Amino acid sequence: MSGGQSILERPAAGFTLGARRLLASPLALKATAGIVLLGAWEGIVRALAPAYVAKPTGIARVFFTVIANEQFLAAAGATLGAVVKGLVIAIMLGTAIGLAMGRITVVERGLRYYVNSLFATPMIAVLPLVTLWFGYNADARLAVIVFAAFFSIAVNTCDGARSVPLEFLEVARSFRARPLSTLLDIVLPSSLPYLIAGMRLAAGRALVAAVVAEFFISIPGLGYYILFNSRTFKHNEAFVAVIALVAVGVSFEAMLNWVTRRYLPWARRD
Amino acid sequence: MVSGAGKRFGGLEVFREISLEVGEREVLAIIGPSGCGKTTLLRCIDGLIPLTEGEIKVEGAPVVTPREGVAMVFQHFGLFPWKTVFQNVAYGLKLAGCSGAEIAEKIPNYINLVGLSGFEDYYPYQVSGGMQQRCGLARALSVEPRVLLMDEPFGAVDAQTREILQFELLRIWDMRPTTMVFVTHAIDEAVLMGDRVMVLKGRPSTVHELIEVDLPRPRDRATLSMPRFAELRERVWGTLMDDARRAEFEVKR
Repeated sequence: MSGGQSILERPAAGFTLGARRLLASPLALKATAGIVLLGAWEGIVRALAPAYVAKPTGIARVFFTVIANEQFLAAAGATLGAVVKGLVIAIMLGTAIGLAMGRITVVERGLRYYVNSLFATPMIAVLPLVTLWFGYNADARLAVIVFAAFFSIAVNTCDGARSVPLEFLEVARSFRARPLSTLLDIVLPSSLPYLIAGMRLAAGRALVAAVVAEFFISIPGLGYYILFNSRTFKHNEAFVAVIALVAVGVSFEAMLNWVTRRYLPWARRD
Repeated sequence: MVSGAGKRFGGLEVFREISLEVGEREVLAIIGPSGCGKTTLLRCIDGLIPLTEGEIKVEGAPVVTPREGVAMVFQHFGLFPWKTVFQNVAYGLKLAGCSGAEIAEKIPNYINLVGLSGFEDYYPYQVSGGMQQRCGLARALSVEPRVLLMDEPFGAVDAQTREILQFELLRIWDMRPTTMVFVTHAIDEAVLMGDRVMVLKGRPSTVHELIEVDLPRPRDRATLSMPRFAELRERVWGTLMDDARRAEFEVKR
């Protein structure tokens, strides 16, 4: 014990001490890694690529112009709006279907294989079909988002509803709860951690669906903004839209974490 | 109350020919080795599961589903982790269709009765096992049951908490005596709680003995040191352990 302490307390040479401090502080480590990666990107692009290829300094130069640009804001609003709308629809439908599948054997037996198969289906594959049904418009994008998000929510909610501890159901029955009350008051809250896991998955898939749909259908949105600017050699501008998409994904994740911490403190314990 | 009760799960016959009657405000303690079906019997009395044979009547009416006026305290506590202590205690009244005002008026009394005042807004995971079962007890008491079913209520808490809760329960029972069926595997607990102790034994188990507990009420810690308590304890012990000892020394050839 005393030997270990003496090693720790021994003053190190300047360089080693600096490196050790860096390793000890996660923030400094992260920042350093970021700077190294960005530097490498900048260096390689400058040395090897044509001038229009996106590089950190180029992106930084156009960043504020782009995010103040009306067209960009409209595109971001369109994509974000579609993703939120699609997620809300998917969450409502997915929760209802998932709960029904989880608690009603007939529904579960009937739907399980189809829901699981569709959950495994890459939604990009149905995109051409969806455009045939809905036309080349925002409805098709919304449909693809819902399709992408719905199944992960339904599958997770179903798992959650099936794994409600029998003790809870027994207590509910002992206190003479009606089936609907048991569903809303016991099964739903008990499945919430699963539902949130499903939403996390769904949000990522919905974002991918929105961008791919915009690529394919060519309707205003961040995906189309990226496509258009890439094709007109404005790679830096296109990359700002990529950053915006990352920001949307990360904030959704952060929001879910906040909601879990704030409203489901009990769910964080194993 | 219970007549000719039998229960089997598939090929496994748990108990047979159990008949018992519990008078108003009487406490019947049911004791038996683990796996003898005492918890199953209690679940049948609550109407959670059906009997295979026989009949159970509560207040003259046959039990098919859980009835009003009967409440159960579970060994696993059965608290909902997403509800606070207050919301958990209020669960029964909420289901009984009580208004918010009624709940706000009644529930603090029960929380106070079990000694949980000040912990209303805590979640079950934040309080100790003993406090969780106090909460489970308050939830059962809050619907003002005429029959209280206790399924090894203190089986999942540590020995010291268990003793504290036993005397708490005796105190509460003295304040509002109700008919009670108390399932336990602890001999002391059975003798301390019960007006009678029913010993279940055998496979399938049957009523092996019904022992009258003539200890005066109110009972408290002093009851434990009465000579009569020790006598009764020994008697239950003898009936219960006979087989256990024989089984332990049985040599299979």
